[in-house]
Amino acid sequence: MRRRLLGVALAVLLTGGVVAALVLGNLGSGVTVVRGVIGSEKKPFFDDPQVKAAFAKHGLQVEVDTAGSREIAGSVDLSTYSFAFPSSAPAAEKIKKERGVAATFAPFFSPMAVATFEPIVATLTQAGVVSGTTFDIKKYLEIVDKGTRWDALPGSAYKARKRVLLTTTDIRTSNSAAMYLALTSYVANGDDVVTGADTQVAERVAPLFLDQGYSESTSEAPFEDYLAMGMGKTPMIMVYEAQYAARLFANDGTIGPQMRLLYPSPTVLSKHTLVPFDENANKVGRLLTDDPEFARLAARHGFRTADPGVFAGLAKGTPLTRDLVDVVEPPTYDHLEQLVALIEERYL
Amino acid sequence: MRRALLALLLAAASLTACSADEPFRILAGSEVADLEPLLKESGLDVEFTYTGTLDGAEQVARGDAGDYDATWFSSNRYLSLIDGARERLSTQTKIMNSPVVLGLKPAKAAELGWDGKPVTWSDIATAAAAHRFTFGMTNPASSNSGFSALVGVAAALSDAGEALDAGTIASVTPRMKEFFSAQRLTAGSSGWLAEAYTARPDVDGLVNYESVLLGMRDDLTLVYPSDGVVSADYPLTLLASSSRREQYDTLVAWLRTPETQRKIMTATHRRPIVPGVAPAPEFGSAALVELPFPNRRSAADQLIAAYLNDVRVPARAMYVLDTSGSMEGDRIESLRAALVTLTGADTSAYGTFSRFRNREQVALRPFSDHPKGQQDYEIPTSNPESVLAQIKSYAESLSADGGTAIYDALRAAYEQKVDSGRYSSIVLMTDGENTDGTEYLDFQLYYQALPAEQKAVRTFVVLFGDSDADEMNQVAKLTGGAVFDARNGSLAEAFKEIRGYQ
Repeated sequence: MRRRLLGVALAVLLTGGVVAALVLGNLGSGVTVVRGVIGSEKKPFFDDPQVKAAFAKHGLQVEVDTAGSREIAGSVDLSTYSFAFPSSAPAAEKIKKERGVAATFAPFFSPMAVATFEPIVATLTQAGVVSGTTFDIKKYLEIVDKGTRWDALPGSAYKARKRVLLTTTDIRTSNSAAMYLALTSYVANGDDVVTGADTQVAERVAPLFLDQGYSESTSEAPFEDYLAMGMGKTPMIMVYEAQYAARLFANDGTIGPQMRLLYPSPTVLSKHTLVPFDENANKVGRLLTDDPEFARLAARHGFRTADPGVFAGLAKGTPLTRDLVDVVEPPTYDHLEQLVALIEERYL
Repeated sequence: MRRALLALLLAAASLTACSADEPFRILAGSEVADLEPLLKESGLDVEFTYTGTLDGAEQVARGDAGDYDATWFSSNRYLSLIDGARERLSTQTKIMNSPVVLGLKPAKAAELGWDGKPVTWSDIATAAAAHRFTFGMTNPASSNSGFSALVGVAAALSDAGEALDAGTIASVTPRMKEFFSAQRLTAGSSGWLAEAYTARPDVDGLVNYESVLLGMRDDLTLVYPSDGVVSADYPLTLLASSSRREQYDTLVAWLRTPETQRKIMTATHRRPIVPGVAPAPEFGSAALVELPFPNRRSAADQLIAAYLNDVRVPARAMYVLDTSGSMEGDRIESLRAALVTLTGADTSAYGTFSRFRNREQVALRPFSDHPKGQQDYEIPTSNPESVLAQIKSYAESLSADGGTAIYDALRAAYEQKVDSGRYSSIVLMTDGENTDGTEYLDFQLYYQALPAEQKAVRTFVVLFGDSDADEMNQVAKLTGGAVFDARNGSLAEAFKEIRGYQ
């Protein structure tokens, strides 16, 4: 350990100038480093060399750490970051309030969607859950209530004894699961937004999460399983439309011929909202929101932006829908939080 | 002024990744040791330190992994169930995938009719109960492959469609007993298990990672249970306390290039995780159903406890303990403490799972130049406390005097009748050279002439103090055991680690 410290000290003396520059958040070549903590689904966007180049044109280098959106709004120490970029408006609202931030940026959004496979679509169509590309949440909840297994569904090509359950991330940490809770709780609450700690609703929707068993804390990991491991591991999964769309637009062969995207009815929009803590972050936020170059890059990563034409242009000829119908509002952060807390209790 | 500046610079250096000359330090499970050579090609200076899955998980959760930048275990699932652990982790990125499945000798697989048609865990459990095959598996409290297999078997046999909970575990215990009655080999690590297996022609197969099974010298027929498996996904995980994000990103990006993914696949038989890299034909075409993994710590712990206390073939653990004069002082104190640790004194999860288990027989054989006593205990099927207390008080009464007759003592342990309904092994702890009684060569001749059932009893040697390392290695090799070095570490840690092999 002592040897390590000595090495550090030497390195510091040798590169003192650079370090001093780093302390000031500047690499010395006129590039400003801006660090943010973001939901994992936006990591490929920030890692994209073209996005990096676009930021560089404005003298910015954006470095990101990933965490679940609920972690960003709760447990992550935000003091080392210039901005937080959770995947939902309610989480951003909470951070905004706590940190006393004046204005936030909502440069892109994505509806929640269901990624699945053709044989599953066929089976669920027969079961009345799917019609066309619409995934009926009400019918789905009825199936979950009954504890139905895949091998018990008539004509099921997926002969697993597992329960019919959408794969989600961990409701205790991640935004995509919270968005899923927003739309299922709406249905469980008699087609109305939940406005408090409703134990009846919590009881109905808790099995959607708990009965899956272990779930991951970020939305990229299970989606990758879906892509790489296929139907056996993940017959159907709740995703951001952007995750699927980005793969389609990249045309990289990862969306196989059997893969399908369905839109839940109702769905909710995940409004990716940047909460800036300093002026550099404001600059990042403005660029993402106003600069057409970033809008174009964001659309290529599957996000919908203020100008619907950008996304629609790319989506033409794909199974992605241009117009979203049956979109409901998520509950406020506190109400959603209360509902999550009621479910969280059941993990103990 | 100058000092203040230096302090500022030092503080800055510890925040930013300035120590570029320092290796990127990874706390890893031994399962990923086979990737160390490949990582040399990454161009990054990466340094591995290996630990057991459960032990490592607790280390991270306690915040004792501050010297490391990242962890790399076969799975983060158990770790994530520990309170406070998630906050210690930053970004997690899966690198590869390997399901835990059953590998059988081809002739045995054909005899059972399992080499072509779908087989369920239930079929496998039924055949096990009927003594139609035997297998080896790692200890679920020590190694992830054993734990994954246990979860998979329990989930499949429970016939429940959702994650395991306390009620399901209790009701599935009898079926699990049937399955595990066929287990003939256990180990604390997947690698050691694979090696031990090759020396045991009477064991028909292994439950292990697909990657280990495909990498075995002798071909095995892999049985992919159609009702599901549990897979390892090897997440390389940046620790929240690390300042080496940049190196982490570089390493992950390199590991996930299609080229590296293919190299990993070829060299280690693990499945690629990056979408778009085509899996090799050796993985077969069966769609693997992933079984739900428990999402409550209590369920995971209860499952391991059920395995150790109720399900597994009970152990007979013989301890041949040097209490000669040279053990006087700190050494005998360490020995007493190490034994007491195994009576339930260590309340960490790893410590708890290391204690002597219900139904286990524990034989303590202290020796100097002559045998100094024979203590035999059997832990009851429930309420183990009183017997554990007896062991504890006996351990605390051990005293050091006299010479060292290692082989007389070891031979006496081998003279014991072997109970075929138990998994018997010997722990030999000595702090010095053999000074009295028979020599190693005499013991070797004696051992080689033993009947097969007694020969199957392995001796796990603990090096301590001034042990004769060369000769002790020979003892371990001769008996198919292993050597654990406590000369620079704690005797208690060595004793706990050996529990995975008993």
